Amino acid sequence: MIQIVKDARSAKLPRLAALLVAGLGLAGCNNEGGDPKMQIGANPQLPALQQYLMPPIRIAKVVGWGKETPAVPEGLQVHALANGFQHPRSLYVLPNGDVLVVESNGPKAPIYRPKDIITGWVQSFAGAKAKDANRITLLRDTNGDGIPDLRTVFLDHLNSPFGVALIGHNLYVANTDAIVRYPYQEGQTSITAAGTKLTDLPGGPIDHHWTKALLAGPDGSKLYVGVGSNSNIGENGIGAEYERAAIWEVDVASGAHRIYANGVRNPTGLAWEPETGKLWAIANERDEIGPDLVPDYLTSVKDGGFYGWPYSYYGQHLDPRIKPQRPDLVATAIAPDYSLSSHVAPLGLAMYTGTGLPANYRGGAFVGEHGSWNRTPLNGYKVVFVPFSGGKPSGPAQDVVTGFLDANDHARGRPVGLAVDKNGALLIADDVGNTVWRVSGSAPKPAS
Amino acid sequence: MQQHATIAEASFTRDADLGPARRPRGRPIHRMLVSFSAAYFVGALVTDIAYWQMLDVMWERFSIWLITAGLIMAGLAIVAYVIDLASRRRIDRPAWPRATGYAIAVLLALTNAFVHSRDGYTAVVPTGLTLSALVVIVLALTALVAGSLTNRHRLGV
Repeated sequence: MIQIVKDARSAKLPRLAALLVAGLGLAGCNNEGGDPKMQIGANPQLPALQQYLMPPIRIAKVVGWGKETPAVPEGLQVHALANGFQHPRSLYVLPNGDVLVVESNGPKAPIYRPKDIITGWVQSFAGAKAKDANRITLLRDTNGDGIPDLRTVFLDHLNSPFGVALIGHNLYVANTDAIVRYPYQEGQTSITAAGTKLTDLPGGPIDHHWTKALLAGPDGSKLYVGVGSNSNIGENGIGAEYERAAIWEVDVASGAHRIYANGVRNPTGLAWEPETGKLWAIANERDEIGPDLVPDYLTSVKDGGFYGWPYSYYGQHLDPRIKPQRPDLVATAIAPDYSLSSHVAPLGLAMYTGTGLPANYRGGAFVGEHGSWNRTPLNGYKVVFVPFSGGKPSGPAQDVVTGFLDANDHARGRPVGLAVDKNGALLIADDVGNTVWRVSGSAPKPAS
Repeated sequence: MQQHATIAEASFTRDADLGPARRPRGRPIHRMLVSFSAAYFVGALVTDIAYWQMLDVMWERFSIWLITAGLIMAGLAIVAYVIDLASRRRIDRPAWPRATGYAIAVLLALTNAFVHSRDGYTAVVPTGLTLSALVVIVLALTALVAGSLTNRHRLGV
């Protein structure tokens, strides 16, 4: 709470700085982004790219929830499952219904350029510099009333953890620099056993996109890992991108890995599409070439596929900021299936197979959009639903959970990781509101 | 007591009489700071050319730090210059072309700092590199013009 109040007060500073810079005539083109609806779905409109003297920065001042809660459409209800977390980033539901809340933040970023000092300063106003708890908290709701009656520290002293996956009695946790395996028995409320490292993952000293999403393969012999790029667009050198911007396939028996797909700038969420059993991912695309470039996306992931980063986006749209170019790779670049529109920052993905929510949500994808920081007007800051049919998105994304922004475009919270609990309710980690929200079907109204 | 007062009075009087006349008229401090900033800006042009040729981000990073250091030195030079202007009775006439040329170079370098803060290749090529070269050209021309003016001034005297 103290953190939130402090953020709210100090958020005036960057605006002042922006004014000063604009006064110096250095703001460059200060153009507004178009309607995000034009960029939802396959074949989004892609404007010409622009380069800036001063890239636009528009962060939502953090005000916290107070007595407010997010808004949901008719047929759904929402309440806080639990709050008082430290930067909860992702969620995982164990087979017995226990909910794991991963409280985590990125490692301290090194300063390579004067810009890194400014970036760190700006991020602190968006609530991104919360203390790193580096732990996983367990919530247990024994009587199924949606209020947990047990809360324990499940795993502690982790290193910027994000992804969690259970295969049999092995619980895998993706720290930013390694996948660690822990023995787990059903019903366990804390793990004290030392973990065993399965494999290293690309971590520091530069660790730009630090979250490592994790997904167990269907037969339990493989893990799929989303490894984000080490830069916006290769500015840390191509050497820093070794085996990054990729989805890894890790063999759980040996720890050996191969690159399943690459050119995906920051694959922050992975899921199996229930109808076809294909791998799908959400990804965060590149910044600083305009308010409507490049749209973040949801896509099926082809084995061996290349999705463009850093050389191109949405197929063969070349990025001039990368040199030398790779025409051989660009020629093979796959355009993603479904655009979520620009800078929404999708950080949570859940394919819905439960029965707790109305039937129209079954088989589709929920996406947690953390929200933009470099676009006017703001975009994201909500959880959307993408309907699926025949294993493919079948319509425009619908807003499901909103109200993360208030009427003044101040942030009450920001949605991150998603999960579906044992009763089919949708859980949302909110890393600015420090809350886990639970969205369930509302009690059936008496038939008229 | 009496003795002390006399000594204090005597030394005060001497200072008041001799202080300003005795102060050595050396090279003003802003000149030194200007030289530093110019050296940094020239360095940035060299590292920009190195990046353009080798495409190693190390050179790109050198450039932005050199430009930043140059701008910090320029800021200090401007402060020192203003103090000099305020405290001196007479300003050398040729100072104005030099000051104008230097101000143009610093504004170009400031723009260049923003361009160099872009990500990737276009932080340097072509705009950043062009601006780095322009800064050095403006500085060189300024030194040349200001130098010739100073000499003519001296010859004229």
